[in-house]
Amino acid sequence: MITGIGMDTRTAMDTAITATDPAAWSRLLAWMSPSFPTGAFSYSHGLETAVEDGAVHDAATLCAYVETVLAHGAGRADAALLALAWRAQARDDNEGLAEIAELAAAMRGSAELALESHAQGRAFLSTVRAAWPHARLDAAAEMLAARDIAVASPIAVAIAGAVWEIPLDALLLAHLHAVAANLVSAGVRLVPLGQTDGQRVIAALEAPIRMAARHAADVTDADTVYAAAPVIDLLSIRHETQYTRLFRS
Amino acid sequence: MRLRDDAGTTRLAELWHHDPMRVLMPAAIGDAIPHVILLNTAGGLVGGDRIAVRVEVTGPARALVTGQAAEKVYRSDGPAVEIENALVVGDGGWLEWMPQETILFDGCRLRRRLAIDLTGGARCLVGEMVVFGRLARGERVVQASFSDRWDLRRDGRLVWTDRLGFGFDGAAVLRAPFGFDGAAAMATLVHAGPGAAERLAEIRALLGEETGIAATCLGDILLVRALMTDPVPLRRRLAEIWRHLRAEAGGLPAVLPRLWHI
Repeated sequence: MITGIGMDTRTAMDTAITATDPAAWSRLLAWMSPSFPTGAFSYSHGLETAVEDGAVHDAATLCAYVETVLAHGAGRADAALLALAWRAQARDDNEGLAEIAELAAAMRGSAELALESHAQGRAFLSTVRAAWPHARLDAAAEMLAARDIAVASPIAVAIAGAVWEIPLDALLLAHLHAVAANLVSAGVRLVPLGQTDGQRVIAALEAPIRMAARHAADVTDADTVYAAAPVIDLLSIRHETQYTRLFRS
Repeated sequence: MRLRDDAGTTRLAELWHHDPMRVLMPAAIGDAIPHVILLNTAGGLVGGDRIAVRVEVTGPARALVTGQAAEKVYRSDGPAVEIENALVVGDGGWLEWMPQETILFDGCRLRRRLAIDLTGGARCLVGEMVVFGRLARGERVVQASFSDRWDLRRDGRLVWTDRLGFGFDGAAVLRAPFGFDGAAAMATLVHAGPGAAERLAEIRALLGEETGIAATCLGDILLVRALMTDPVPLRRRLAEIWRHLRAEAGGLPAVLPRLWHI
């Protein structure tokens, strides 16, 4: 039984999103599309091991897994880092951006979780720079490269979003939705589940996605960014030595 | 406290402590480096208590630091217990930090930070174990606030960090299947410095197929994570890894302080 279908009333955040400039909307949809070439489809964030263990075996357990990532795991922490980095980039605060980017690069629980975040961040930023060129994108990317700071996925999304004037609330929702949808897609292939069951899980994740976005938007201090999903870190570490693997994490 | 090298022997260079924390340095029989034992004479921590320990090892000195007993964190209706530990290791130095477990009582509030600063070729072996509740009494942690922050810096640069925590009303995550999954004990062990990555295969072989504990490597940081339903085998596992690493990486006798034998 899947619980938590998002039926709560409209909030200030929803209202702000409907006011977004159509050009910004269009960019955001392109960047968060599964066809955007970041290789997202090849990462399972430890889910492949949870399926191998039998801990994830149907729509309800898949939903619980993704919900934990969003409410307690890297989904929650990364969204908060995204919000902090978006604000630093929006006010052209190089030192602030570098500090958040260094923190985001270092806050990885396993070799594969680091690969998942850093490889996608690098691909995201270089694709946006190539297809939506902007001097401020280049400046931010070069500033981080000069300091030898790996660009974690939420940092790449934050920089591109702030430079191309995507409102933070819309960016957070879209990013968290993309993270959740990518994991559900991995789950549909691994469990396996029918496509409609996969969409039922996506529908059930509406409320957790929205809550994670709201939480992230409220974070103003990097010292308050915490996660509480050590099981997922452990699953990811065990994935590194899993015998049969389709995914890179 | 600060430890320095004196022609191949590590000696105490500075020491300052204040009640209830005491520092003991018994003769480390059978070992090649000094043992430092931390002792909390108050027998536990209550809300508002603040503990700060700083250990500096000036390279190429080498030392081992452990605790005399498990650290208990009692229920608090008010402020949190704050623990701030800092480990500073100079180029060529070696520091083992293996306190005994921290036991969280139901209703406790703990904020803990561990800062590790390594310079150049400094190496460290750092492990912490947390037990959720007084298990012998059948107690579980139902409500508690807990935050545990690790910051590992090399030459001033943050290279790895872990921020694990939940608020007082969020302790249900201890039982969530993909949160803590009802684990009674958790451990994190880090071995960092030149050569640390080369130990990964050995540690994996030592751990075998066990599902509650596993090792990974981020650059030259070897990281072991564990979640178990029983703290006793977890403690045994940590001791095993510790013995192995101090022998293979540190070139030291594969023996642990007597306090860890229980």
